[in-house]
Amino acid sequence: METETRNLRKEISEKLKDETLRDALGRFSEAYPIARAKAYENAGDIETLRDALRQMKIDTVARIGEVADRFEAEATKRGVRVFRAKTGNDVKEYLVNLCKEKGVQRIVKSKSMASEEIDLSKHLETAGISTTETDLGEWIVALAGQKPSHMVMPAIHLSRFQVAEYFSKELKTDIPPDIAFMVQAARKELREKFLRADMGISGANFGIAENGAIGLVTNEGNARMVTTLPRIHVVLIGYEKLIPTITDAATILKVLPRSATAQLMTSYMTMIAGPTPAMVKRDGKWVEEEKEMHIILLDNGRLRAARDDKFKEIYQCVRCASCLNVCPVYTLIGGHVYGHIYAGGIGAILTAFLHGMKEFEQFHELCIGCRRCTTVCPGKIDIPGLIEELRIRKVREKGLPFVIRKAFDHVISNRRLFHSLLRLAAIGQKPFQDGRLIRHLPLFLAGMAKDRSLPAIADVPLRDRIAKITKKIDKPDRRVAFFSGCTIDFVFPETGESVFKVLQDLNMEVLFPEGQSCCGKPVIALGDVETTKNIARENIRALMEMNPDVIIAACPTCTESLRHYAELLREDPEWGSKAETMAKKVREFCSFVAEEYGKRGRLTKTGGGPKVTYHDSCHMKRVLMIDQEPRQLLEAAGCELVEMKDADKCCGMSGIFGVKYAELSMPILEQKIANIRETGAEIAACACSGCMVQIQGGLDKKLPGVRMKHVADILAEKIKD
Amino acid sequence: MKTTHEIWKRHFPAENSGVHLFPEFEMRAKAVSGEVFRVPGAAEAREALIQLVDTVQARKAVVVESPLQEAAGITAALRSRGVTVYTEAADIAAHADTADIGISGVEFGIAETGSVFQDGYDIATRLVTILPPLHVVFLSSARIVPGITEAFDIISRSFDRGYVGLITGPSRTADIERVLTIGVHGPSRFAIIAVDEEPKGGHA
Repeated sequence: METETRNLRKEISEKLKDETLRDALGRFSEAYPIARAKAYENAGDIETLRDALRQMKIDTVARIGEVADRFEAEATKRGVRVFRAKTGNDVKEYLVNLCKEKGVQRIVKSKSMASEEIDLSKHLETAGISTTETDLGEWIVALAGQKPSHMVMPAIHLSRFQVAEYFSKELKTDIPPDIAFMVQAARKELREKFLRADMGISGANFGIAENGAIGLVTNEGNARMVTTLPRIHVVLIGYEKLIPTITDAATILKVLPRSATAQLMTSYMTMIAGPTPAMVKRDGKWVEEEKEMHIILLDNGRLRAARDDKFKEIYQCVRCASCLNVCPVYTLIGGHVYGHIYAGGIGAILTAFLHGMKEFEQFHELCIGCRRCTTVCPGKIDIPGLIEELRIRKVREKGLPFVIRKAFDHVISNRRLFHSLLRLAAIGQKPFQDGRLIRHLPLFLAGMAKDRSLPAIADVPLRDRIAKITKKIDKPDRRVAFFSGCTIDFVFPETGESVFKVLQDLNMEVLFPEGQSCCGKPVIALGDVETTKNIARENIRALMEMNPDVIIAACPTCTESLRHYAELLREDPEWGSKAETMAKKVREFCSFVAEEYGKRGRLTKTGGGPKVTYHDSCHMKRVLMIDQEPRQLLEAAGCELVEMKDADKCCGMSGIFGVKYAELSMPILEQKIANIRETGAEIAACACSGCMVQIQGGLDKKLPGVRMKHVADILAEKIKD
Repeated sequence: MKTTHEIWKRHFPAENSGVHLFPEFEMRAKAVSGEVFRVPGAAEAREALIQLVDTVQARKAVVVESPLQEAAGITAALRSRGVTVYTEAADIAAHADTADIGISGVEFGIAETGSVFQDGYDIATRLVTILPPLHVVFLSSARIVPGITEAFDIISRSFDRGYVGLITGPSRTADIERVLTIGVHGPSRFAIIAVDEEPKGGHA
């Protein structure tokens, strides 16, 4: 397929103006988590169900060749013609020939994402075969000349008024925008198509090797029509849908309807093993004949993924789309922008294999790595992790864009130069600065500071304050090396001071390794492994030469990055073991302090302090799995803790994303600010310097009465000097 | 009458299943807009059906017989009510699209989801199930399994080839503005007549 170069930023700003889309997705993202939770109420332990699905799929993909052979053999034994298609073109050729051979003129289709993937309907139409989508959403989207914007709800981006227009045009009569009426109009129109069709094409939600059956999970009943009425039934199924046994289908069915549409079961769940009788009119009489059944098993990149140690994970996807429903980016702009044919983060990964890296590269940056999807995915796929891996492979193959390459080579991997530039920036920003925040930027940069103030680089970075804030501890309990990260060092040095104060108050000796640099996250996020390795070595050297008992970072991303060095340098004979030794010493500030406070009986609720709401940073909660400790610390510091809505939803910063896609980052931030406002808190607390940049900037513009503080700052205020 | 019903009785679990699960099944089926009528025996089953026929003023019915229907004399009752009834596959094929009501039997129900399981190998069963606007099924109220897992234990032992499935309430969509709308391509009403008394032998 030809790859057109997309103008993603233009597409984003257009979608952000699409009120219908914003409204529909906004309401949906509110309703979905509640409906999903309710659907799982009587399902038993949800984690057990997710683990079961994941394990079943892992076991299957490990022997996918054998499972596919069995599926083919069992289906064939029961009278099905099985065709293995390597590419979309193979499918098209097979079907057009079949239609010619059998005199097929009219096809009815039920839903199949695989057919969307290869643009099948258009091809059949071009070949002169009338092809009708019969799933209501798919039919609407086809009438609109569009592609589905969601894997489960293809037409979620359209309003009833838009649908009425498409219907009026197709049915050549005035159709009012009344949903019940429109559904009946569709029923009437499509019923005729079902009854007159020569061939039905369906997808499949699963294919069972044990008896060659396919399974269909639907609500409208169209798939039952498609598989019952026409004399020929063709199934298009991808390898990733194959499962070994009939009981494995139960493992899928326990979670698929619940996760996809928050139903305990869809209206129809159908399993078909081999051809069954059909009624055919012969010489004006209805006679019973055995149906002709074909199964096309589609590869189109799937088998390459199965053989890939990392990407075989995509076989764990059951296409429930729950990952889209909780994605802060998808729920703002939908699948037409965030996707190619398959939408969202999982869509980006599937696209890389099914459509190629060129298509992937067009929109993969929209994954902000917030990991919310990983908490709902029934197959437990590490969607952000796989996207990061694809970025790494892209860079390994093609390198980085020139300007970024130069910046990384000469600036970030050279700590002294990088830090000098940051110091220079502190001077350069002066014309725009207003106190500690930059509220306006000139011309082309204006978008970045439109709804959010940007933090100014501090006049004196933390590294220049160390002598002043270091307390001499005679018999320290521990020697702690503090890894500040760039943001605390150069933007929030006061937070760095708070960290010193809290740790020193615990009778710990705090050391600041001068040679520490950026943790490397912004670099690895762009896929540059080699530069990240250089940074890692520099940091390991700097931190370990202090010979600390513990290494503390007050930012979840830095914590995660430091620990990740072990994996990053595993093959490095000199640095591998050092990285591993270091990783074991790395602790996140809040969880460490909470533990120490606990030991000293200081982790108790005290009260009398200000009203505070806590923002869970994505990586704090979903990578480090720390969410209770910061709250306990706040209450120990006397704060009255008030929970905000969606406390663990991304603030929209996500490193470089928040700057490059500022217009997309802003509505995500606005939701966060609105949720903070709702609580009536005086202080918004968090434990991540990246989130602090973003939320503080939003508060300054939209809610200036509320201050942003790091948990360390709040703790430090309680400590007497 | 189709001959598949016996197959599905063979592996129905003796333990952990049965009429005590009916209240949960009924609650779940109703929650998805299914209509449930539990009756003690054949006579009441017949009455329940006739009431349904009257409320929709059915004039034409397509029927695939099942032991419970036979025991209750459903087809004869419909005819005596003046309803035209088709029971042969060829007639069903010709009339299912314009019939007011489709009637068939199902093998068992699932409490967890309010679903019923039907063997649809027989083409007439599928036409009756999917084409008319009202679909009525007959179910033995003792044949309820706790959940999807137990249902698949039964299915996996007997499903070698054919066309089987779960039906859970009427046909539905939410494809326009996520507004739930009942009755798209399949029936807009789905009724379950659940009979406590097991049929003995039947009239066939």
